[in-house]
Amino acid sequence: MGILSWLVIVPFLTTVAVIATPNPKQIRWVALFGTGIQLILTAVVAMKFWALAGAETGEHSMATHLCMVEQFDWFKSLGIQYFLGIDGISMSMVMLTSVIIFTGVLASWNVENRTREFFALLLVLVTGVFGVFLSFDLFLFFTFYEVAVLPMYLLIGIWGTGPKEYSAMKLTLMLMAGSAFILVGFLALYHTAGQSTGVYSFDLTKMAAFQYPTEMQAWVFPMIFLGFGVLGAIYPFHTWSPDGHASAPTAVSMLHAGVLMKLGGYGALRIAVYLLPEGAKEWALFFMGLTTINILYGAFGAIRQKDLKYFTAYSSVSHCGVVLFGIATLNMMGLKGAVLQMFSHGIMTGLFFALIGMVYGRTHTRIIPDMGGLAKVMPWLAVCFYIAGLASLGLPGFSGFVAESHVFMGGFFGNAWHSSTATRTLTILAAMSIVVTAVYVLRGLGTVFLGPIPAYHEGSHHDAQGTHGTHGTHGAHGAHGAHGAHGAHGAHGAHGVNLAKLTDATFTEKLTTGILIACLALVGVFPQFMINLIESSIYPILNRLH
Amino acid sequence: MLMLPELIIVFTAFLVLILDLIFLKKKNTWLVMIAIAGVVAAGISAFVLFEQTGELLGGRFAVDSVGLWFKLIFLVATGLTLMMSVEAFDVRAKGLLTHQAEFLAVLLFSLSGMLFLVSSRDLISLYVSLELATIPLFALTAWSRTEVSGEGAFKYLAMGALGSAFFLYGLGLLFGLTGHMSLVEIASALQTGPALFLAAGLITAGVGFKLTLVPFHMWAPDAYQGAPTPVTAFLSVASKAAGVAVAFVIFYRLFGEHLSSWSGVVAVLATVTMTVGNLVAVLQSNLKRFMAYSAISQAGYIILGFLGNDAQNATAMVFYMLVYVVTNLAAFSVIVMHVHQTGREEIDSMKGLSITNPLLALAMMVALFGLAGIPPLAGFVGKFFLFSVAAKAGYYWLVGVAAVNSTVSLYYYLRIVRQMYIEPPVAGTAPLRVSGLPAVGLVIATVGSMILGVVPVFYERIGADTIQWLASLARVP
Repeated sequence: MGILSWLVIVPFLTTVAVIATPNPKQIRWVALFGTGIQLILTAVVAMKFWALAGAETGEHSMATHLCMVEQFDWFKSLGIQYFLGIDGISMSMVMLTSVIIFTGVLASWNVENRTREFFALLLVLVTGVFGVFLSFDLFLFFTFYEVAVLPMYLLIGIWGTGPKEYSAMKLTLMLMAGSAFILVGFLALYHTAGQSTGVYSFDLTKMAAFQYPTEMQAWVFPMIFLGFGVLGAIYPFHTWSPDGHASAPTAVSMLHAGVLMKLGGYGALRIAVYLLPEGAKEWALFFMGLTTINILYGAFGAIRQKDLKYFTAYSSVSHCGVVLFGIATLNMMGLKGAVLQMFSHGIMTGLFFALIGMVYGRTHTRIIPDMGGLAKVMPWLAVCFYIAGLASLGLPGFSGFVAESHVFMGGFFGNAWHSSTATRTLTILAAMSIVVTAVYVLRGLGTVFLGPIPAYHEGSHHDAQGTHGTHGTHGAHGAHGAHGAHGAHGAHGAHGVNLAKLTDATFTEKLTTGILIACLALVGVFPQFMINLIESSIYPILNRLH
Repeated sequence: MLMLPELIIVFTAFLVLILDLIFLKKKNTWLVMIAIAGVVAAGISAFVLFEQTGELLGGRFAVDSVGLWFKLIFLVATGLTLMMSVEAFDVRAKGLLTHQAEFLAVLLFSLSGMLFLVSSRDLISLYVSLELATIPLFALTAWSRTEVSGEGAFKYLAMGALGSAFFLYGLGLLFGLTGHMSLVEIASALQTGPALFLAAGLITAGVGFKLTLVPFHMWAPDAYQGAPTPVTAFLSVASKAAGVAVAFVIFYRLFGEHLSSWSGVVAVLATVTMTVGNLVAVLQSNLKRFMAYSAISQAGYIILGFLGNDAQNATAMVFYMLVYVVTNLAAFSVIVMHVHQTGREEIDSMKGLSITNPLLALAMMVALFGLAGIPPLAGFVGKFFLFSVAAKAGYYWLVGVAAVNSTVSLYYYLRIVRQMYIEPPVAGTAPLRVSGLPAVGLVIATVGSMILGVVPVFYERIGADTIQWLASLARVP
């Protein structure tokens, strides 16, 4: 049993341990312990990976860049293997997942309702995620992929808020419909290669050695790309994302936006673009256009949101659009940026959702106009929120800047197969989202944390007519039609909670946010080591494109 | 020796009847143990035979490697059904059944018919054993003697007779075309022609009734709803497996090469069956009716295996049948406990099961996810192989239809999961009793539905046996 198998087994064993723990009070400690071990294991794998990758020279093919390979026959007669391996792209995703699940467990420290089931499902989900990032056999990949998606239904359905059953069902069905298309695509790949070479195999490295017929690539590529795109929230299949994120409990939103949506980008890059380069060339411009809509639509959508979670969810749609946009550029700069953006957005959105959970736990509202001046009572959370916000609008010094600048530069360079006018126009349009992001981030956070704290009236929930001091902040929204309604909300304070008496972050909360911010800054200040990591693994994909 | 499993089953059936007569005054609940022992003994004897193949009665009765897998499927299905049937004869049960010994004997007779079926090498014995398998099921469906039960049984009887008539007509045409009764001789004498397609059509329709293919499925929802719940479980797996076995014997052995032009029909039937089954299942509120439509849609997946006639198709089909039997019976074990203890059959009566009986709810969820085809459960692996077979035959559109159908099916399976996990229990709901035998059956079925997908040895063994079986077919002149 190699070290990569342990990366999959440890979360699974933690699940078993969580189920077997007799005392519900100890469950969170067991989960924390398990994910802590996972974090250490990831660090060990990373060390080993750098040592191995450093020794590598020359030839750029996937096989030479796969490290720590574990390969056994599973269903031998069908060429299905248990095949784990790791390259730079997987490595960065594994690091992301380890960090997010560790902080996710910390962020769910106060889950009281059916704790055992909650942590068990969370850990099953993460087992699937690690499996996906490490599998290089398409059957195994698909197995883990679905394991990662399905627990979401119960996690949102049981512990969610708002229209949780609706959101959970919508999310599950849309993602499963996406995976239905992926399945058809995989079978087409398997049988096409098998019928012409006589060797039937789901082994990704073997399939990559086969040149698929161009006309077959032309219909399989969009199928697989869109199938993964659903999970990457590609327009117009993004609609599950805002509802799902808004209804999900904190840790689930973190994992979902932070890690699960990355499975979509990862699959699109690793499988769709890698195996079907001709199809990618044919469809790249179309998907660039679609993801430009994503980026702009998400950003403009976020401006209009009143609920902090919807706000972040729309911003996620926009940022995940950047990932897929980067993939669709089909050049080194863009692909590198896409992977960086996956990592960066994962951490950033994890931080966002964790913070929203912490604020919501205190104010019991997520409605932006209901809050105000919270920086006075919770300075730590306010500063963290601003850091997350600035990172998301691409402030240099944080990872978001590095990633987005790569993607947009890649888009501007364009590629040999599409007119540079078209790609440049799209890139300029997409890059405008940065301005829009600045608008919604600064304005949203300004409302929540700055200005005066709304006056608190005990028991006076129904007489307010928008005549209080908070009114001014609302005016800034400029939406006159909805104005009166807001005022009525805002004047109450947040559902009868006295905002002036709230407390700042506890130790666990400081730890959670601290870890995430450290990751953001580390990659922002020293991007080179991440870039080197990713770059070596982009070459094999790029080589197949030329 | 080759007929040992069948003989053991027939002997056990009579033994149960006679013992019931001897101990007339007492409530003979222990008889079920004898029935189960008989099934286990038959299973062991079949396993002992595993390496042996051969013929009896002048070639009219033959044992081959794939046939043994079918026998194993029937035995597993019956054994698990017997275990859950205890629940219905418990004195505290709602919808209590009577005449346990007769019930067991009739069930075992049906099983013996199925076992003979896969070994038949002759048109007459094939037809007779199919009837032997089916007629006891009519009686079992009417066992609870209520109005619903009677209605279901009558519909089943009428439609079953119609199906048998089609089937018999098809067999008659085969005899007319070739002048032989033996399947082996028919296979060598058969030539393509319009009458052959008529025969194939009639046989497909006849098998379609057993398999509940749309449009031959009309009897199933009523019969499933009316039948006592353990019988519903048996109908949904064993009767279906019998249909597959017949179709398998006839299509692979007889039609062989002629089958290729038939795959278009199969593709259409599969599409219609899974789509109708799935869409109608969405609307159901009665658990048993719901499972009926779910079973109809599953039949649509199973016949994907008839889209070609090489080893991989047969393997995928037999493997999925095995998986489907254990998975569906795991779900039914929980449903039987629920229905006979609460007396309620609506889906929303399962509300809050995860609070009152966490383990039962977990088993039910695993079974439902298996039926929906969620990895790493065996249901996924089995379905994946069937899809792969369809893709191999070039039916990519059909794979797409089937995969989208799986998503639809997930919607309605999740409706039950939602009732069990998300909805709170009605205040004062007592947890279900989990007693000996039904619990053992549930554990076996659940473990089976997980293991089969992870451990490759079953699939590989079936695969090797099928290749050997097809090779032996080719040797016959």
